Amino acid sequence: MSREAGAIESQYGIPTVAAAGENVVRFGVEANVAYGTGMPIRYVAFPFPFSGQKREVLKHYVEGADKVSGKPMMQAIVDGLTNPLTAAEQLSGRPPQAAVAPRLLPPDTEDNLQRLFKENQWTDFNPVILPTEERVAAMLKGTRHKPDEIVKTASGTLGANRPFTVEKVAILAVMAGARPEYLPVILALSTLAPYQDSTTSIANMVVVSGPIRTEIGMNAGLGALGPNNEANAVIGRTMTLIHKVIQGYQEGVTGFASLSNPLRYNNLTLAENEEALPEGWLPFHVQMGFKPQDSVVTVFTGWNFVNSAGWVEEHYPPQMLMRDYMRSLPGLGAATILMDPSVATLLKDSQGFATNAALGEWFARNVEETAATYWGNSIVSSMIGPLADQGLEPYATWKKAPAETLIKPFPNAGNIRTVVAGGNSASVWFVSDFRPGRGALVDDWR
Amino acid sequence: MKKALLTSLSLLSSLLLSAPGSMPAYAAADAANPPLLTVLNPAVTAELADRVPLAPRLDTLEGKTIYLVDTNWGGFGNNDILLREMQAWFAEHLPGVKTILKSKQGNFVTDDPALWKEIADARADGVIIGVAG
Repeated sequence: MSREAGAIESQYGIPTVAAAGENVVRFGVEANVAYGTGMPIRYVAFPFPFSGQKREVLKHYVEGADKVSGKPMMQAIVDGLTNPLTAAEQLSGRPPQAAVAPRLLPPDTEDNLQRLFKENQWTDFNPVILPTEERVAAMLKGTRHKPDEIVKTASGTLGANRPFTVEKVAILAVMAGARPEYLPVILALSTLAPYQDSTTSIANMVVVSGPIRTEIGMNAGLGALGPNNEANAVIGRTMTLIHKVIQGYQEGVTGFASLSNPLRYNNLTLAENEEALPEGWLPFHVQMGFKPQDSVVTVFTGWNFVNSAGWVEEHYPPQMLMRDYMRSLPGLGAATILMDPSVATLLKDSQGFATNAALGEWFARNVEETAATYWGNSIVSSMIGPLADQGLEPYATWKKAPAETLIKPFPNAGNIRTVVAGGNSASVWFVSDFRPGRGALVDDWR
Repeated sequence: MKKALLTSLSLLSSLLLSAPGSMPAYAAADAANPPLLTVLNPAVTAELADRVPLAPRLDTLEGKTIYLVDTNWGGFGNNDILLREMQAWFAEHLPGVKTILKSKQGNFVTDDPALWKEIADARADGVIIGVAG
């Protein structure tokens, strides 16, 4: 909302007051002004929670106190539009910048440095490998890029510019326990920052595709999602460090995930078992338009990861149970099905899905839920509801439909994707609402 | 026999030295004076954003036109209630203020520059935008 208020004020000179829940104002606004917008928008705040309250409660919010100033809400709004600007509100131009962090930390003992790294939020609170010059120099042998090359600038949470170099990424790779040969994957992964954050329990998934998987020994087979492989474990851990150190995510300062998500511990980092795909099924990165020989890292974002628990049985084909479980996903229209190679083979050979695209088309036609359930999720009602009100189909029709009307919440088959991994020891699968972002070419960072 | 005894003593000595709680003298000295390490600094320096001043405020709301803009948070009308309550408050307490309620196109994460221009072209004096939470 700072962006909209800022546009109205700065482009058109119209004084504006932004009204939000106190959760929004309490978290993030200060850092957003300092590092994002540069504009100290005048906010008033309603009590939290705002969403989910009954209408009669919300009416009282307008009669109650502003949580920012303590004044009656409407008096605070009038004051926000009429009280003269303070000196701070009239500042313009580039503020004095903080000194660039020194390249080396003062010498200290290992225990003290481990403590310092934790206190500065540079860790995931497990011990890190301390990034000595020798270790970082060895790590940098994993890429031809120069240590002082800027990888990206717009990497920060809340729109902050946080320029970082190849050397900074190598430092984090050392800290996480990486080998030099992992560095091109980690550098490509760092170009995808900032990673998605939310007050909700959003999480990420990292899928590595192409030849690099086998070159660095990633696990796409038995136990691919568990703590069973060095490369999978360390690359996932490095992403957490990139999120915290490079992106600058600090819970309660620049981020405010109320409950967060345990999937964030290793960011679901895995490689696809491309060699085990049934004939006719495309690897994930090829589904996304890359060439088979490209090495690609992709960050997915989503909330839910629903487990088949058991294996595939003949009496209820796997696509039917996947369809049933997909009803529990909020219908933003994207889904990723992660399955063991045995499931992909059964889907092809026993169920006739000659391609993974055909499976996506089947889900688009067959996943159904009631309009009430669809609109009941606030992600859907917030993101899609206004579009329905503005006449966008099929959502406009769905919003007018009686509560028990069955709708098809995945109308675009192209947004239903598959990733095949696992070791053929059980015909298991997950359905998820994870949506892939743009992939990054690892080969650019070798 | 003598050789066997020496071997046994040597083994015993090794066991004692490696037993929990025991520590060779040189190790104890190292623990008291651990080596200092020099490490690289992982910190990334954030750039402070260029500061942008707020628009000058109004001297009074009397006779002014205020737009109330719904950001579409929630999507099912909670904003609408709060903004309508604000509109009613103005009508009752500051009847000289003209209020106009508008909704953004798109949803709460999309921008609506056409609406900002429409508001400016209509010579709005002030805006209240909300509500997110």
